[in-house]
Amino acid sequence: MQILKVENISKIYGGKKSTNKYVALKNISFEVDKGEFVGVMGASGSGKTTLLNILGSIDKPTTGRYIMDGKDIATLNKDELAKHRINNIGFIFQDYNLLDTMTLKENIILPLALKGHKVNIIEEKLFKITKDLGITKILDKYPYEVSGGEQQRAAACRALITSPRIILADEPTGNLDSKSGKDLLELLTFINKEYKATILMVTHDVFAASYCQRIMFIRDGEIYNQLYAGDNKKQFFDSIIDVMSVLGGEGR
Amino acid sequence: MKLTTLAIRNIKRNFQKYIMHFFSLSFSVFTAYSFLALMQNEYVITAFTYSTRYRAMLKGFGIIIMVFVIFFLISSNKSFIRARKKEISTYALFGMTNRNIGKLLFLETMIVGFAALIIGIGLGIFFSKLVAMILLDISLASFTGDIAFTIDPKAIYLTIIIFISIFGVMGLSGLQVINKFQLVDLFKADKVSEGKSGGSKISLIISLMLIGTGYYLASLDDPLTVVGVSIPVLILVILGTYLFFWGGLPEVLSFIKRNKSSYYRGINLISTSAFSHRMRSIGSTMATIAILSAVATTAIATGFTLYKNIEKNTYDIIGYDMYFYGGQEKILDDIYRAFEKHHTKIIEEYTTQRYITSPQMEKIVVDDSRYIYDETDYFRVYSQSVYNKLVSLSKSDLKPVHINSNEAMYVSPYIFEELDEAVVGQLLTFSDQTIKITSTLRSGIVSFGALRTLVLNDNDFERLLQSGDILGVNKNGIPYDKVTIFNYENPLKSRALDNELTRILSGNVGSYRTAYNHYNESLETFGLICFIGFFMSMVFILMTASLLYFKQVMAAEEERHHYRMLRKIGMDSQVEKRVIVKRLLPVFLIPLLIGITHSIFAMKAADTIVFSNMIPLENSYIIVLAFSAVMYSAYALVYGIFYFITKGQYSRIVK
Repeated sequence: MQILKVENISKIYGGKKSTNKYVALKNISFEVDKGEFVGVMGASGSGKTTLLNILGSIDKPTTGRYIMDGKDIATLNKDELAKHRINNIGFIFQDYNLLDTMTLKENIILPLALKGHKVNIIEEKLFKITKDLGITKILDKYPYEVSGGEQQRAAACRALITSPRIILADEPTGNLDSKSGKDLLELLTFINKEYKATILMVTHDVFAASYCQRIMFIRDGEIYNQLYAGDNKKQFFDSIIDVMSVLGGEGR
Repeated sequence: MKLTTLAIRNIKRNFQKYIMHFFSLSFSVFTAYSFLALMQNEYVITAFTYSTRYRAMLKGFGIIIMVFVIFFLISSNKSFIRARKKEISTYALFGMTNRNIGKLLFLETMIVGFAALIIGIGLGIFFSKLVAMILLDISLASFTGDIAFTIDPKAIYLTIIIFISIFGVMGLSGLQVINKFQLVDLFKADKVSEGKSGGSKISLIISLMLIGTGYYLASLDDPLTVVGVSIPVLILVILGTYLFFWGGLPEVLSFIKRNKSSYYRGINLISTSAFSHRMRSIGSTMATIAILSAVATTAIATGFTLYKNIEKNTYDIIGYDMYFYGGQEKILDDIYRAFEKHHTKIIEEYTTQRYITSPQMEKIVVDDSRYIYDETDYFRVYSQSVYNKLVSLSKSDLKPVHINSNEAMYVSPYIFEELDEAVVGQLLTFSDQTIKITSTLRSGIVSFGALRTLVLNDNDFERLLQSGDILGVNKNGIPYDKVTIFNYENPLKSRALDNELTRILSGNVGSYRTAYNHYNESLETFGLICFIGFFMSMVFILMTASLLYFKQVMAAEEERHHYRMLRKIGMDSQVEKRVIVKRLLPVFLIPLLIGITHSIFAMKAADTIVFSNMIPLENSYIIVLAFSAVMYSAYALVYGIFYFITKGQYSRIVK
């Protein structure tokens, strides 16, 4: 089943009259199906963050249609967009973006609280998710009292608790050491499998990308190539490196 | 680039941030200049400073204001620098030394400071006439003189000296703030915790007990005790307030947090957690502001109540614009001529005979001291109709009465509960009739020289006059002096007329009083207190409110990323507005409410000590509260305006 569909999206920075136009995205089209774990890779400045912002409805495309749940998201007004984000999208950021004024528990339930759910429903969901993601013991701590990996787990809980249509992860392993990074990727895979969550992850880390089922490579605002994971993880990993080296990005 | 150019560019670029800073600086300068100019004003000097008491009062007031201005400026300067933490850290990152950053900020302070000095002194000069007029108008009944518009070089000179030294101190304290910054703050600033605010049940209970004890002591009934405990009360309440903000309020917040069904609503969750996160850094400020608000509201409410009651008090004591007894035939013509000469219309004139009576009655003893003698003493006595006529002519609040046959009303300026109980029911035995005292009235205005007054039914009065129980002549057969009362136009304004009346009356009549004299004496004493109260309150209100503004704007800079993140999660603009309201409102409301509550009890003490003697009503506290409420509302209004300014600025920053 199709979760989202992007048709000929372009993003141009600089106004119509401006001579300093900068094209971040050029006529991008793709679809994401339910339950997919998609990676988006590209060098710095390739437009992958712009794409993620548009998918997260934080930014609007200059032209093109972005359809989710039968609606063209680009046509929604500000408050409808906020509603759309809270219902359909879960975010995981590179720097976790937890509120340091709240405990982990409060951070996690925040989206549900904003939606106005009842206490018992909130607690029920909180209990299940934090148990699955293994952070039950540190729920009453503040973000600055726990490690980066734990903060990112909490952030994942926050993204997951509303059962969004899609989880957008922006370089989620970027701030983590390799052990915590690996843990988190396994966690995302777990979420993908157990919760049937659809995940779109932007990364330029080849290792992180190798956990995805499909990878879209972006160069100069266009989709350059797509790779599908086969049964052999090693082979997949190598082919990612090959594409990346052609792209001239961070491939090693 | 030279530091000066950089400083000027910074000011231009940060104009939004600077404008409130500039406003508070200018206002401080204006306050200082106005006060200094007032002290130099020749009218004020002739009116007040001849008396050492008034001079000491004004000087003490000046010192309080200056100390407060310094405290305010230094603390707002610190907030202002913290609000620019990122900018300052960036300078440091690019290799600017702390010394140079300090110099840069000092230069900025000086440039803004000089502008503020010019504007503040300019405003001070512009309004100096007004300020002096207000002072004199409040404290002198008949002040009509025209104060010249003056520029006072000595006041300007002093203001400049004082503020340059304050700016110096501000610069140094700014440097201290900068030295505390770590470069790493630039990257970590938002992540560094202020620490959980440690609330505890014990401190909540102790703080409430301290404040409660203070309130209890302040509302004791005995004036002398209240005066005696005033210092302990102050200490109890101040300690209690600080403890409440340090330990009590965080506990209240964690109590709110435990109520999940309301806490788990998005808006409450965000605003409560953000507010409780700020508690530690803002707790002391809020406590200080609560106490200053209490001082200011009490000062302003006391001043206002005193002031508003001077005129009423005058008529409660004197009753009429003028009265005298005796000597009518000699001086009445002179009096009419005086009114004519001063083009003043007489509104009421009434003359009546005075009578006395000395019936047989029991000794009334209350508290071991005798209050009513039965042998040598006498009562002034009126028939109901004459009494009602006198009352209707008087400018007091007294109402006409109806006295039944064989009953009497006892009137005296000195009636308290025990005496009232003792007097009511007493029998007055006349030669062939007994009359029972059935009611009392606390008032001094119809006695005209007597300590005790009786009001009788018209028929009783007539009969007793026939029987010789009521006498209109003394032992030697000479009639008692008649009493004449006058009400006339502008009684409290015309000094010249009053002087002339006084000249005519003094020495020629049995006794006389004029409302003008009494009013004027009261005004001189209370007017200055009122003015100081008003001035101080104004300064306190504006400065505490702008202090809160600075703290919140500073917080907004740090909370900006919270809002950005919340918007990404899906907080819509409606919710955001409500979150901001819930986040900011308590900051203004809690200190204001606590300050006003303190003040309500302080007014109770003031009522016990002062007002209950001034306002001749059963429950003078209600009246006092009514007058205070006017000032509380004014105070709340100013806070409200500042709240909206702060909300606007805060919303703009977190956008």
